[in-house]
Amino acid sequence: MRVFIHFTGIIFIASLFSCEKTASDSASAAAPSNTGVGGSLTKFTIIGNYIYAVSSYTLYTIDVSNPAKPVNIGRTPLGFDIETIYPYKNRLFIGSRTGLYIYSIDTASAPRLLGQARHGRSCDPVVANDTVSYSTLRSSTTCGAAPSGLYIYNIKNLDQLELKKTISINDPIGLGMIDSALYVCCQNEGLKVFSIKDAYNPVEMQTLSNSDFIDVIPYHDVLICWVRKGVSLYDISNRLKPVFVKTIEN
Amino acid sequence: MKPKHSLVLIVLSLTLFSCWKYYNRNAHPIDFAGRTKVLGYKPIYGVETEAKKIAYTDTPQAAMSKGNIYAFKTYIFQLDPGFGIHVFDNTIPSKAHKIGFITVKGCAQISIKDDKIYTNSYDDLVVLDFSDLSNIHEFSRLKGVFAEYEYQSPIAQPPFRGFYECPNYTSFVVGWIKDSVYQYCYKN
Repeated sequence: MRVFIHFTGIIFIASLFSCEKTASDSASAAAPSNTGVGGSLTKFTIIGNYIYAVSSYTLYTIDVSNPAKPVNIGRTPLGFDIETIYPYKNRLFIGSRTGLYIYSIDTASAPRLLGQARHGRSCDPVVANDTVSYSTLRSSTTCGAAPSGLYIYNIKNLDQLELKKTISINDPIGLGMIDSALYVCCQNEGLKVFSIKDAYNPVEMQTLSNSDFIDVIPYHDVLICWVRKGVSLYDISNRLKPVFVKTIEN
Repeated sequence: MKPKHSLVLIVLSLTLFSCWKYYNRNAHPIDFAGRTKVLGYKPIYGVETEAKKIAYTDTPQAAMSKGNIYAFKTYIFQLDPGFGIHVFDNTIPSKAHKIGFITVKGCAQISIKDDKIYTNSYDDLVVLDFSDLSNIHEFSRLKGVFAEYEYQSPIAQPPFRGFYECPNYTSFVVGWIKDSVYQYCYKN
């Protein structure tokens, strides 16, 4: 009996925890709730009072604490062919055609390089949390020659990002994560749903192949998808089993 | 012959060459490189003040080209790179629909905080007030902050696949029109 009570207690505590996780993770792509959530292919993000915007070679920092009077703080030179920016807590994850860069914005007005992982030339949007980052590399003619796929990095040690695993996928593009689910857009090959309960070892659960998927935003219980035909919505109250809701055509 | 003279001659002959090319382009269906004309797109240019004007309509517009998606409260936004921002009502996902379009020429990116949309119009950062849906308007602007090409000319390609006349990047491209063009620039 005592064991049973303990067990119930553990479940109860665990469920509390998982609720808290859900709440924070649904907004993970943008910490505070007064900010929206972007897709993984974006080059603009707002954290606190600052906009961080990337172009091919530069990270722009703009102070918008007074929206009536935005102030250009400065430009940080980056590597080459920057593609995307992804915010998580006080970090910026910047995907480029030559690698992944992680910047600290502890001093919000002066982003500082914390770590990087170089890879062969390829396009690579990224999503991440404290311990793991997922990048998709696609090696189409304009992007470069590195093998296409999902690249999983252990990012606990920022001095040395560790490539834990790669999963071969043809031309993946945008991606999104929420709780224990990772969604990878594979253009005309559909949307792959991975379980990331074991963060460094994603397990493919299913592929939705009724659309050309380009990018996704897991937004509370709705997966907002940029598809070739328009914008599609899926119910993801069951994270690993998206249920089609509707497509709003172009 | 003095070196100075030969230089003048070279420059002169280059000028002639460029005239010849120009002449050919206008008068003949084949240019100096042997390229033929095909049906494609020609850029429409505008003056800066017109090009950078913000406007909102509650009549949903068909998408020209497609770009980034963004979620904020019960709304979804989708960039139409170079042309503007489509606004969707997502209060009830099964009934989600487009509700309007914000014209922001030269736009490429979007982010939202506190009912303010941050986007770009060519090289400007533009802040739009979104607190009243019937009156989305320009709230402020930081001119010329995005110095790099990709922000200056996101509209520098037509929204459709095919050949187009390579635009003059120092002007503001505000749209594209079907016309016969030489096979130089190609949009995939």
